[in-house]
Amino acid sequence: MTKPSAEDIETLVDLFNQSDWEEMHLKIEGLELFLSNVPGARGPRAVALEAAASTGETPHEPAAPAPVVIPEGMVVVCAPNLGTFFRAPKPGSPSYVEIGQAIEEDTEICLIEVMKLFTPVRAGVAGVVHEICVNDAEMVEFDQPLAIIDPSAR
Amino acid sequence: MAVKRTLVANRGEIAVRVIRAAQALGIETVQAVSQADRDSVAARMADRVVVIGPAPSRQSYLDARLVVHAAKATGCDALHPGYGFLAERAELATLCADNGITFIGPSASTIDALGDKLRAREIAAAAGVPLAPGTDQIADAGAAVVAAKEIRYPVVIKASAGGGGRGMFVAREASDIESSFDKASAEAEEVFGDGTMYMERYIENARHVEVQVIGDGKGRVVHYGERDCSVQRRYQKVIEEAPCAAMPPHVRHELHQAAVDLLSSMKYMNAGTVEFIYDAGREAYYFIEVNTRIQVEHPVSEQVTGVDLVQAQFRIAGGERVLGRQDQIHVTRHAIECRINAEDPSRGFQPCPGRITRWRPPEGAGIRVDSHCHDGYQVPPFYDSMIAKLIVTAADRRATVARLRLALDAFQIEGLVTNLPILRGITAHPDFEANTIHTRWLEHTYLPELKMNERETVDGPH
Repeated sequence: MTKPSAEDIETLVDLFNQSDWEEMHLKIEGLELFLSNVPGARGPRAVALEAAASTGETPHEPAAPAPVVIPEGMVVVCAPNLGTFFRAPKPGSPSYVEIGQAIEEDTEICLIEVMKLFTPVRAGVAGVVHEICVNDAEMVEFDQPLAIIDPSAR
Repeated sequence: MAVKRTLVANRGEIAVRVIRAAQALGIETVQAVSQADRDSVAARMADRVVVIGPAPSRQSYLDARLVVHAAKATGCDALHPGYGFLAERAELATLCADNGITFIGPSASTIDALGDKLRAREIAAAAGVPLAPGTDQIADAGAAVVAAKEIRYPVVIKASAGGGGRGMFVAREASDIESSFDKASAEAEEVFGDGTMYMERYIENARHVEVQVIGDGKGRVVHYGERDCSVQRRYQKVIEEAPCAAMPPHVRHELHQAAVDLLSSMKYMNAGTVEFIYDAGREAYYFIEVNTRIQVEHPVSEQVTGVDLVQAQFRIAGGERVLGRQDQIHVTRHAIECRINAEDPSRGFQPCPGRITRWRPPEGAGIRVDSHCHDGYQVPPFYDSMIAKLIVTAADRRATVARLRLALDAFQIEGLVTNLPILRGITAHPDFEANTIHTRWLEHTYLPELKMNERETVDGPH
């Protein structure tokens, strides 16, 4: 299955507007779409995250990762395994990559740690870092988006 | 300290079962799933879901590091391993302990000691539990032939690290040993990473009887009666019941005491099962092994004692003093469980994953169905083929068998092939009704009969 294009999304929004549905929640190929005609409504993941934040607890929370929207033509780098995400090789050292930085296919973009075992993750595609999707030292799940690369912006 | 939030490191019906138990106790749940199970019932029930890896279990449910990392990162203070997967790997219990997470089960050293079948035999012998005549480690086929002469044929040769019938065979004469020993040892080496073999006298026409216990880790152990799991195919249990109706009360009492003695001798912690072979003709029982986990068939013991064993697991792990007095635990009813598998009996019981188009479990008094299935559920091809456990309870064995037959008839599953017809056939068989079965009955009597009847039906009367 290919990723939905901007037109596909427009079609979906039109369909939703014509329907009598109150909410639509759609997940395709890493894209997550939440539509609602209730004022102030937010996606279920956003609500879960806010609920967690409002209790003032640590990030060690039973809250799912936030949805990531991938702009057309961009490539998402996903977690090869579950673990803790680190942007820098060591605490205090500079991050592997910054937003806007040009990178090569084999550029290391982060580390994932499982039980003290650190594995570097490579971009897998040349381009410019468009977004880092995870905060430093957060847990990432298997296949969770870590970074978005714009291969055309070079 | 009482458990506040637990990781559920398993899938299928036992994940659902563990979440229900946790919820009843007010414990928060984090469900670890593979990518194939992210939309499962357990995932929907849990407070949070963590995708720990792709569908193959080696990269998800069988990776102790991932499971413990997920527990730690989501703030869990406990981890329930269910059965299968990592449940009896000492490595998981060790990793939990090292990371300050309460493992819902015995200590790593207990799992290690009892997982080694030869060490378990030594522990049982020291506690005065009867063992079938047997050997220590056997070096090779030649040594096995010599030992078998002394023990007397038939003998069963087993892998010390084994379980579930892998790396195990029955020998009736020296040539059986010569043809199978190396193969079994190699299989044990491959599956368990240890090719060590030992031998026991093989008890013909024996029943499989096991005792459910819970220990407090300080030497106090309470039992919840026994289960009879004699309907087996290739050492895999198919139907289990409690109590063992074929056992006279004085033997039953001794058997319970043997199980309690064995596990209290090692200050056993949490739920466990002591398995025995029972020779009904001689009223003799022999120790097989201890399973250091909650078992698939635990519901029959729950049904006859009224104790929720999974809740008890959480409470005992949380340091609560939940073990009642032994004389307060009564077996008052009879219960039988059938394992319903997505498998095709006509094609060598080959697993048949697929989409369930219609799911109608039976309902009514005395009927319990433990399952993770529903209309439209896709049974993934990556895991065990068990899709449900039907547990039926009534006042005595006769009434339970009658109720079970009706419940099996009423169970409707469409879209994939299951073993339901076989279960209906077994429970309608006069031998099952008369309770004269043994662990080889299904393979040596029932299935051959079935094949013969089918042939007659196909050929038709001429």
